[in-house]
Parts: sequence; C-alpha cells; structure tokens
Amino acid sequence: MLDLLAYDFMQRSLLAAAMVGGLCSIIGVFVVLRGLAFVGAGTSHAAFAGVALGYLLGWPPLLLAIVFGLATVWITGWMEEQGRMKLDVSIGILYTATMALGILFIGLMKSYNAEVYGYLFGSVLSVTPDELHIIGALGILVLGLIVVFSKELYFIAFDQEMAEASGVPARQIYFLLLTLVALTVVVSLKTVGAILVFAMILIPASTAYQLTHSLRTLTLYSAMIGISTSVAGVLISALWDIPSGPAIVLLATSIFFISVFFSPKRVKRTQMSHVH
Amino acid sequence: MADPQEPIIRFDHASFGFPGLIALDDISLTIHEGEFVGVIGPNGSGKTTLCRAVLGLLAPIEGHLHIFDCACDELRCHHRAMIGYLPQKGVVDRNFPVTVLETVMMGRYGALGLFKRPGKHDHDIALEALDQVGMVTYKDSALGQLSGGQQQRVFIARALAQQPKVLILDEPTTGLDITTQHNVIELVQHLHAELKLTILLITHDINMIRSKVDRFVLLKTKLFAAGPPSEVLKPDILHQVYGKDLVITENDLVIVEDYHHHH
Repeated sequence: MLDLLAYDFMQRSLLAAAMVGGLCSIIGVFVVLRGLAFVGAGTSHAAFAGVALGYLLGWPPLLLAIVFGLATVWITGWMEEQGRMKLDVSIGILYTATMALGILFIGLMKSYNAEVYGYLFGSVLSVTPDELHIIGALGILVLGLIVVFSKELYFIAFDQEMAEASGVPARQIYFLLLTLVALTVVVSLKTVGAILVFAMILIPASTAYQLTHSLRTLTLYSAMIGISTSVAGVLISALWDIPSGPAIVLLATSIFFISVFFSPKRVKRTQMSHVH
Repeated sequence: MADPQEPIIRFDHASFGFPGLIALDDISLTIHEGEFVGVIGPNGSGKTTLCRAVLGLLAPIEGHLHIFDCACDELRCHHRAMIGYLPQKGVVDRNFPVTVLETVMMGRYGALGLFKRPGKHDHDIALEALDQVGMVTYKDSALGQLSGGQQQRVFIARALAQQPKVLILDEPTTGLDITTQHNVIELVQHLHAELKLTILLITHDINMIRSKVDRFVLLKTKLFAAGPPSEVLKPDILHQVYGKDLVITENDLVIVEDYHHHH
C-alpha cells in the first residue's frame, strides 16, 4: 500500500477525494436539513449534460457544467417561489430533460469518447493536475461562502419563514445555497461522477444526523465521515482494482446503515414509545 | 394596564392579499407602545395575515402600514429584527438536530446582520432569554426531545433574543394541555409587564385572555371592532362575526366553534 502512495497520480487522487468528500459532506448538511435532496440529483444530471455539450462543441466541459447546473437550480428555485409547481415535480422534469440532453449530445458525437463516461461514473484515479487546481479553487470558494454565511444558512435550513421574519435576507440566502449545491456537484463530477455525487452529498450528513442533536456537531461529524470514506474508498479502489466511485459510495452507505442501527436517537425513540 | 404611549404600528386604510382574493380589507388600526392586544376572529378572517403584515412579510396592496417611525410599504425593512415572532406550532421536525441554545441563538442572527459572527454578548443575551422563560437548565438539550409547552417556551426565548419591542404570538396555546396553556399565557403576561413589550396575541380562546389584554381586535376580513374587552365582547358584535358558531353561556363564557384543522 505504501508503494501506491509514492505515485503522483495516487497522491492527486487522494487529495481530490478528500477535498470532494469534505465539500460534499458539508454542503450536504444544508441539503439534508432544508430537504433539497432531489435538487442535488437533478443538478448532477444537468451538469453532466453540460459536460457532454462541452465535448461535443470542443468547449471547456466544466464551464458548461457550471452553466447547466446553475441554470437548473435557479429555475427550480424560481418555480418553487412562484408556487406554480411543487419542487419535486419541477426538479423531476428538469432531471430527465437534462439527462435526455446529455444522451443526445453524446449521440451527436462522431466518435466514442471515454472521457465523457468518466464524468458519468467518476474516475478519481485519472484526475489531472489542472483538474485538481480547479477542484481546489472552486472548493475554497464554496467553503468560504459557507463559512461567511453559515449562521444564515443554518437558520433557513431550520425555518426559512422564521428567518425571513426576523430580518435575515432568507430568499437571497436560499438562492445562495442552491448555487453552492450546483458548484459542489460540478466540482465532484470528475471524482465520483454524475450518478454517484448525489450519494456523496446525502450520505455523510444523513449518517451524522443519526448521531447528534447539535447543528455544529452534525457539520463536524458529516465532514469527518465524508473525508474519511472518500479517502478510504480511493485506497480500496486502487488496492483491489475496482472503480473508485462505487467503492466510496458503498463504503459510505455501509457506515450509514451501521449508524442507523446504533443511533442514540433510535434508542431514545424506542424507550419513549415504551413509556407511552 | 399600560399607558398608551407612542403609536408603534399604524394601519391606514391598508388592504392585503391579491387582487380578487383580499385577506384583509381597508384596515385602519393604531397600536400603541406597551399595549397587550388580543387578535380574534373566525378561521380565515385574516388574523395571521395581519401578523405577517406587521412582520413585513407582506406589503399592502392598498393603503399604508407604518411600523415604528417608518413607512413599511416596501418589504425588507430594517425594523424587522425589532419584532419577535412565535409562529403557529407544528412546523418543527422533532428529529431536527438542534439544541435549545442553538435555537435561541438564531434569534440573534437577524439583529446581527450579515457578515457578523455571534459573540459572547449574543450568547449572554440568548441565555438571559432562556432564563426569562425558565428554560436555562435545558440549554444543551435537543429541541425535539422537549414537550410541546417547553418547545413553545424555547421559541418565545428565541423571539426575546431579538430584543424586540413587539412580540407577535400566533396561537401560542394551540395543541397544548390546559395547564400548559395557562402557563404560556401567564408567561406572556409576565413578559408584557416585565419587559414592557407590545404584544399581539392571536387566539381562538377568547376566555383565556379576556382578563389579560388591554384591547381586542376582532377581524373578519374587515376590522369589526377594536377596543377593551368589555366593548368588543358584546353578543351582538360577536354574533355578527361568528354567526351560528357562537355560544355565550350563562356565566358569560364565550364559546366559539373551532373548525381549525391541525396538520
């Protein structure tokens, strides 16, 4: 295993996995608490359509992924605000429509392009130094914004109307959160892929949710679980020669089920139901 | 009870809602600093709309609304943090991972503004607010593990942590047992006296608060009556608003049929 760590590509992969794991798990706290799980899924497919268009036109794929991702979250946020449609319906439509676009763009390509599939399924072991820089820069941007607006983000996750009533610009903060979700998805595309990034956002926060009653502790636990499962997943992937995306996600899922089983909340609920 | 002082909230022929669906029509009402006002009326009479308007969540479609010294016809007024709000119960997810102190600290966020981190000063204010509602020993408990009455106290503490001038409570006793209902109302009365807060309390339970409030505001889309309990709680006025849903018993208890559905 130590031999593996000597390779440049391995060091890059571990660094990318740690950054993506940390970022996804922290934004995941707000996604889980605010009930935006489905938005994450929809955004990742939209971003993939952007990547496919990028390869089709020969434009920078990540740039188009950002454009597609942001357009999707802003449209869904706007539709929800207008009250015209429930969030899950509008996201469901955009989810499938953007996936259809992605498939269409791939179909229009004249030759088979393996790199596109890397964005769909994730290939952390092939992350290039340039991609690592992009991940790092976007990651710092997203984390910085979360830190700066953390108290507002927590408040709208808990109760958006209450936040607005007490003078927090809740609507703007909600759109900021949607934007950060889209950027996080784009950052993670290359590492875990469009299909699995959703799990990276949901699982660490949901696991931490089982273990604590405090918002701050929840965020800390979520980040720890996200980073450690990502790094361990990459190591397993390299050692056993299996794809990295599934290795990370399945490892995180196992830990999630263990946490559900041993959750202190579960114990308390069972005790309470005995009392009543 | 309190001396009517400065007008603190002033509705001036204000209407709220959407064209074609008016929730409150042509309301003119002045509320003075330090008043304890009970807002009553049947379901769908615009009670909650009145509160949302005062909170700045709704702008008047006609007329004007002045809060403090400012014309709040436009939303997003900086005075919002000076109004504490206890929303209707039933919105809290019992498993939401938040402690009592973290909940109360949120009351500081609006007042602090963007880019400022809560410090020791805010922490002290939150603890004092918890002390005022008698919940300081629960500060590290999970919010979801508390009883309904305790949760209401925590949410009142969150409103107090804003250091508000006005406290708006939307049906604070709904869903609580009788003893807890009285405790919550007593707490509100205590805060009114102690902190000189202006209080707007929405309720279905007229009897519970009739001896506590300075004034009742009786709504049914329009403002039907506003005045001391003895002037508002007259059979002819109440019958006009509640119709056949109203029963007045021999010892002058007012019973209003409650169609309120809880989700």
